[in-house]
Amino acid sequence: MDLENTKAQMRKGILEYCILSVLSKNSCYASDIIRELKEAKVIVVEGTLYPLLTRQKNAGLLSYRWEESQQGPPRKYYELTDEGKTYLTELDRSWDELVESVNLIRTR
Amino acid sequence: MKITVSVNLGGYSFNIDEDAYSELKRYLKNLELHFAGEESSSEILSDIEARMAELLKARLTTFKQVVTIDDVREVIAIMGNPEDITDEEGPTRKEKFSRPGPHRMYRDPDKRIIGGVCAGMGAYWDIEPWIIRIIFIALVMAGGLGILIYLILYIVLPEAKTTAQKIEMKGDPVNINNIKEAVKKEFDTVRKNMKL
Repeated sequence: MDLENTKAQMRKGILEYCILSVLSKNSCYASDIIRELKEAKVIVVEGTLYPLLTRQKNAGLLSYRWEESQQGPPRKYYELTDEGKTYLTELDRSWDELVESVNLIRTR
Repeated sequence: MKITVSVNLGGYSFNIDEDAYSELKRYLKNLELHFAGEESSSEILSDIEARMAELLKARLTTFKQVVTIDDVREVIAIMGNPEDITDEEGPTRKEKFSRPGPHRMYRDPDKRIIGGVCAGMGAYWDIEPWIIRIIFIALVMAGGLGILIYLILYIVLPEAKTTAQKIEMKGDPVNINNIKEAVKKEFDTVRKNMKL
């Protein structure tokens, strides 16, 4: 067993949930999402985000629009679709259940 | 003094040192291989390029206008190497390796006797090329039909030139790891031949 590997696995599992959570507050472009995820220390290398975003978009959980930017080329702004919102509600519930289960075991 | 190259990365234009350019190119090529087979892989790549452009732009000022190799290395470290970019949703490592890659018939120039047709067929079906050669010889003896078939196949089948094609010929999945392996094998063969 490798501690770092186990930790990385745990982080990876919740990354998808965290992306949807970040987007539930307001629509963001990828670098905003990265900043939040980095502050919360759930992401190590940035490259991990992009395949996830594209897959969530293909699954119909996210949509994006292009927005002009003063600093450079237009940016992709992502937001949750209605399907994404329902999906996130489900994940919220399952996260609460998980935390509860783990706490129950740890305090027993 | 150094030669610089001008590139368009994610819609920004950059002046970039030649060595930094080849490093960046190598990285993007590796990413492309990593995401090959993924639905919308080009979209993922252009998103990554856009982010890298942003990170590189932040490293330039009026006094430092050229992207150096250190800038590129720093940005690559932030984005992560292809091996580090994995996720739960996609195919797991094991699935990725067991999933068959494209399997095509080529002429095998490495084991050829005449044009590599029989060698290529042998590689495709994973059988000894001599079995196919004997069948062809038999067909030739039986009335010359073998020569015609051989000629047609020689024209139709492309030669496996690149490492990726040689992997496709044998039907292994094409990814960075087995390209590395195949290149190493080729290198060993060359070294062995040099000694002989």
